[in-house]
This record gives sequence, structure tokens and C-alpha cells, in this order.
Amino acid sequence: MLTPAVAPIEAKKKEWSPYTDNGGTTLAIAGPDYAIVAADTRLSNGYSISCRDVTKLAQLTQHCVIGTAGMQADRAVFHKLLRTRVDYFKYKYGKTITPTALAQMIANILYGHRFFPYYCFNVVGGLDAQGHGVVFSYDAVGSYQALPYATTGSGAQLLEPLLDSHIAQRNRTQKNPPMSKDEAIAFVKNAMASVSERDIHTGDFLEIAVITREGTQIITREADGVERIKLGFD
Amino acid sequence: MFQNKSEYDRSVNSFSPEGRLFQVEYAIEAIKLGSTALAIQVAEGVLLAVEKRITSTLLEPASIDKIMQIDTHIGAAMSGLSADGRSLVETARVETTNHRFNYGEAMTVETCTQAICNVCLKFGDSKSKMSRPYGVALLVAGVDEEGPALFHTDPSGAYVRVQVKAVGAASDGAQTALNEEYNKSMRRGEVEDLAAKTLKAVMEDAVTPTNIEFAWVDAGTRVFHAYTPAEVEVILARLAAQPAAE
Repeated sequence: MLTPAVAPIEAKKKEWSPYTDNGGTTLAIAGPDYAIVAADTRLSNGYSISCRDVTKLAQLTQHCVIGTAGMQADRAVFHKLLRTRVDYFKYKYGKTITPTALAQMIANILYGHRFFPYYCFNVVGGLDAQGHGVVFSYDAVGSYQALPYATTGSGAQLLEPLLDSHIAQRNRTQKNPPMSKDEAIAFVKNAMASVSERDIHTGDFLEIAVITREGTQIITREADGVERIKLGFD
Repeated sequence: MFQNKSEYDRSVNSFSPEGRLFQVEYAIEAIKLGSTALAIQVAEGVLLAVEKRITSTLLEPASIDKIMQIDTHIGAAMSGLSADGRSLVETARVETTNHRFNYGEAMTVETCTQAICNVCLKFGDSKSKMSRPYGVALLVAGVDEEGPALFHTDPSGAYVRVQVKAVGAASDGAQTALNEEYNKSMRRGEVEDLAAKTLKAVMEDAVTPTNIEFAWVDAGTRVFHAYTPAEVEVILARLAAQPAAE
């Protein structure tokens, strides 16, 4: 008697899974004489919110800030590593690393972990030697590009077309001049608030790093200095 | 450790009771036997100039390389054991190339010099490839974001930043001559003339386009350029046309 060719039923093994996506959205804009890097502060675990006030930004030099979406643990280690590398660069080469050099260094570090990557989706903003804003956007394994604006994380898909429309203005017959620093800050607040309406992993508070020739200011509170910059409904 | 004082100079990694490392000092002496090399830094750039000793008419002069390019914006002139010099320049090339890979930008002249000096110190222990100090002095010239820069390295691994420097057999005479006539606002042509004139004064052989070598790193373009014999000939012709009243 023939036995039917049925594969034996085995209990499916649970695969080793070292990665978690903790959500969150980053946004960076390169202006003529400023750069902005912004991110929300929510830390998600699936449908749960683990924490409402975790920063995704790290100021690496006087004129350079990184924003990282992805996994919180990897982000923490990655930012720590970058801080030590930035310090070491200063000891070794006797000068502060430029955002452009830092951008290449970050790409090399990420690619160095090509086969067990940091679960980090970075944007880097800073000022170049001429004082113009520069922004770099990365994937997890170090592919990167200099762009006029960039967004990564859980709300990136919602934010990208908004940035295309308002900053690149490719589909417009009448183009507005590039946004001033203050216009850009207001735009970032509005844009991130909109994302938080529709993306459950983005919300709580907004942090905005504003980089100008004078240095970097990380805005965490409203203009009155009392209220945090709240995203979405209370 | 040693039975008598004369044995301390046999060791490359033991201080003598007077606190001296004889082999390093002897290496510095070795440079004084080498062919003369000089470098002049001005606002417009940095000039390297060396004497090439053509010991035989059957020797191909172009095969002697006393000035070597390290990166697009850095070059080095050497005096002493040129094999050691080539080896150091090779490590410098690796360092500057790695810097471009790591940071996407050119290395500064000082960091490049620092990298060379780090290698200079790696001798004598069982792990290093080099059993003795490098018997060469380098004049590292280049232009970076801070402008033109010139450094002098010696076998002890020490380096100093200089405006004008002569090393090698006739270094004393050449240095005195350079110090007298140098000023930092000299133009490129004047610097070339001064270098050619100084080499002519200190060299035993008559200067020809093939027994001296020139290179220039331009402050504007930040590019290293090694002179062809034809370009050297132009400088020598200019020199010959000048009145010999001085």
C-alpha cells in the first residue's frame, strides 16, 4: 500500500529574532545657512508605548546632529560609539570632524556591520565649511546620500510626499523661495504633528535641533519655555 | 646588562647610562652623509628640491627618486638611506589613502607627518619588521585646508614645522644661504631661483636638469607637481642668465 506523500507535521521552531522596531520618525532639512534635525520622543513596542520621552537625537559636534529611528538599544549603542569616534578624531587629527567626514565615517561603520547590522535608520544634519546646511540620509547598512531634506522611521512614508511638495516644490508652477530658519521650524512642528495624527508609533513630544553658524540649539519646549512641544492630542 | 660602556651602542632599544640611544643618534648622523635636500614654504605653495648623485654615467638618472608624491596634495623629499625613505613614503601613502576612504576628505599635512613618525618609532622589538631606526630625514610638504605646510622628520620620530629647511651633506651651508635670502612673500619663480642657486652653490658636481629634482605643491590648486627635466632646464637657464655679481 502506498503511503500518501504528506510532509510530516513539525512544530514550527521560533526563530532567533534579535531585532525590534521601536518606531519613531526623524526629519532633517538643509537650509541655505541652517540645518534642522528633528524627531519625536515616543518609544513603542508593538501597540504599547514603553516610554513617552526618549530622545532620538544626538549632538555629535558643535555643528552636527544625528537623528536615529529604528531599535532603541541599537540607537543607544550607535550614538555612544559615534560620540567616542568624534572625540578620538579630535585627538588624532587635532580638529573637529566635519559633517561631511562624519557622514562618510558613519557609512563605513554601518557597512562594517553589514552581516549583523545596527537596526538604525539615520539622518545627519550639519553645516559644511561654507556654512551651508547639509543633510545625509542612510539605510541600515550604510548606503547614504546627501539630500536637501530627509526622513526616516515609522512616519517617513507619510512625511516624504509632504516634504517633496513643500521643500522640493517640483510640482508647482509658482515656486516659493527657500524657507527661512524660523519658517522651517514652524513647518517641522506642523509636519511632525500631522504625522503623529496618523502614525501610532510617532507622538508625545517633538525635539528640534537647529544648527546655525553660532552653534546648535536643541528646542524641546514651546516658545513660552514652559510647555513641551506636544504632538497630536493630549 | 652591559659589561662596559662601549657596548650600549650595539643595542637599538637600551638607553646608555647617560640617557642616550646611540643607534638613533647614529641614524641621525647617517643623514648627514646623504645628498642635499631642501624645502621652502611661501604663501603661494611649497617647493621641494634635491640633489641626485649620479655616481656613474651608465646610471639612469630618472630611476633615482628622491622626491616622492604621497597624495595629490602632499609630497616628500628625502635625504639619507633612500630605501628607508621609500618605505616610509609607502606607509604615508597607505595612511592618506585610508583617510580618504574613512572620511571622504584629504588628510592634513601634519597628520600625515605624524603617521610617518609613528612608523619611525617602530623598531627594535620582536614584533616589528624593522630591526633598526630608519636612517632617513624627510621634508614633508603639502597644502591642506589651513594652507601650505612644511615638516621635517628625523629618525628619532620627532617632527618640527619649518618654513625653510635643508638636510643632507651640505645642509649647514644650504640652510645658512636659505635663511639669508628667504622671505615668506616670495613668488614661485623667486623660490625656484633660490633653490636652484643654493643647490648650485653646495653641490660638488655642476647642476644639470638631470642631477637635480624639483617639486611644487601649489597653495591655490593644492596639487603636487614634480618638475620634468625640461621644466628644471628653464629654471637653470634663468639662473645662468642672472648676473653673477652676488
